[in-house]
Amino acid sequence: MTRAKLGLGAALLLALAACGPKPIDPHRQIGANPYLPDIHQYLVPPMLVPKITPWGGATPTVPSGLKIQALASGLKNPRSLYVLPNGDILVAEAGPPKTEINRPKEFIMSLVESQAHSKTKPGNRILLIRMTATGQPSAPTVFIDHLTSPFGMVLVGNDFYVADTNAVLKFPYQAGETTITALPVKLTDLPGGPIDHHWTKSLTASPDGTKLYAGVGSNSNITENGMPAELDRASVWEIDRATGARRLYATGLRNPNGLQFEPQTHVLWAVVNERDELGPDLVPDYLTSVKDGAFYGWPYSYYGQHVDPRVVPQRPDLVAKAIPPDYALSSHVAPLGLVFYNAANLPPAYRGGAFVGEHGSWDRSALNGYKVVYIPFQNGRPNGMAQDVVTGFLGSDNTVRGRPVGLAIDTAGGLLIADDVGGAVWRVTAAP
Amino acid sequence: MPRQNPRSTASIGGHPIHAMLVSIPISCFVGTFFTDLVYWKTAIIMWANMSAWLLTVGLVVSILVVLAGLIDFLGDRRIRALRAAWIHGVGNALVIVLSIFNAFVHSRDAYTSVVPTGLILSGVVVLILAVTAWNGATLVYRHGVGVRPEDRA
Repeated sequence: MTRAKLGLGAALLLALAACGPKPIDPHRQIGANPYLPDIHQYLVPPMLVPKITPWGGATPTVPSGLKIQALASGLKNPRSLYVLPNGDILVAEAGPPKTEINRPKEFIMSLVESQAHSKTKPGNRILLIRMTATGQPSAPTVFIDHLTSPFGMVLVGNDFYVADTNAVLKFPYQAGETTITALPVKLTDLPGGPIDHHWTKSLTASPDGTKLYAGVGSNSNITENGMPAELDRASVWEIDRATGARRLYATGLRNPNGLQFEPQTHVLWAVVNERDELGPDLVPDYLTSVKDGAFYGWPYSYYGQHVDPRVVPQRPDLVAKAIPPDYALSSHVAPLGLVFYNAANLPPAYRGGAFVGEHGSWDRSALNGYKVVYIPFQNGRPNGMAQDVVTGFLGSDNTVRGRPVGLAIDTAGGLLIADDVGGAVWRVTAAP
Repeated sequence: MPRQNPRSTASIGGHPIHAMLVSIPISCFVGTFFTDLVYWKTAIIMWANMSAWLLTVGLVVSILVVLAGLIDFLGDRRIRALRAAWIHGVGNALVIVLSIFNAFVHSRDAYTSVVPTGLILSGVVVLILAVTAWNGATLVYRHGVGVRPEDRA
């Protein structure tokens, strides 16, 4: 009798785990006014973690008119890219710092999520790839070693800045150098461990070069590590390059990445990873201009005044001033890379707008993301539906060969894609 | 001739395993209710984390407790003949099922991992435990389940 009861309970539990809203067509959540369904809080969140299959000789897929080739392969978790003025391509190999376990859930989640990430131990260094005279890439060499989960990179004059997960470091750089061994000077600390939930610190410089902007993601999904852990997080920092002094430029951005200035209007933009566990279609991740002093909602609300019931105490005063982002990308696509295309190599249909690298979902019963999309812009604003440009990271039967992360444009106008799971850097150019 | 007591099959040196371990999940599940109450009132996340650990430890130890209890129940027909044993078994099966649900509710993030569903489930579990623990005591102290006859001489 007792055993029968237990069996019944287990069956009931499975049934409850299976129920919940069916995922909608992601296109309904792309653009300025995404459809936002009602909140659904799961008993057991659906975790669909794809199996990893190596690329072998295969490549991602591009539409006709474009071609794609591997610039480098066999890398250890390449996550972000930067192109130096002489054309040298920098690749940051990085993985998450070691985190502490606060709850039984985190122990189980870390096991599940590790299935969708590369098994290779990340390099925690920056590599350099130089194009030879024949247009072939050199084998990657070590540019800067012994970093701490590096992600953001930017060069201003002869100062090369790296955003480690816990600090912005300044290295001296001379044009043409292929390795830097000088010790860095710390410009400022960034919020790092011991929790460091969102660890990728994106970095860019203002067009006049006086300020740096760093993306500092939240320390939790939705404050479950406590509010004190969120001090100065979920924000974009403005750092004075001369003094290292900093202020919060914009707040309420759960995990801002891909910080870039739009070349025509010189406005700062970012892609932002929104919160999980409110359903397969909440909350859509987004692309947005980052306005000075603006509050974008996290953790109290999303897309303006949609209050999140998981956050207590609530702050109606902050919810009232939360502004909605500019352009939704649909839910759980995990955008981590952003680059505006202003070069002339790709066909005119890809000029003037933004490419976004979508790392891909793991907590949605139909996978979403796992591609690079192009969003047309007009007068410095998104204008039109996002188009798939680089796909094929996701195979049939939910196997995954790679996951796009950081993007960059090389000096010849090629679109570069860091693929952390595939251990590759891809280059997209116009087909001859 | 002394009356033979119902025998505990799962025992070590005459000490029933079920009785040895059962206080651990009881303490954990009652503790969960109290840490849930404190979290409800304070929203300090440490208390919700504490609830999640208490629930997990309570459920893990319950595996042994349930096994030992089932072995005792199936091992002696005289135990199965007792009404209190049935109430005890069915009630605690309910405690386990509700606590499994509760562990999943507690795996949510922040406030709704406790309020209101988790807190209600923790409270209901404590109420059921009050009944089943009373019946458990009845089995031992009135019916002498697992008590050796020479001890009663």
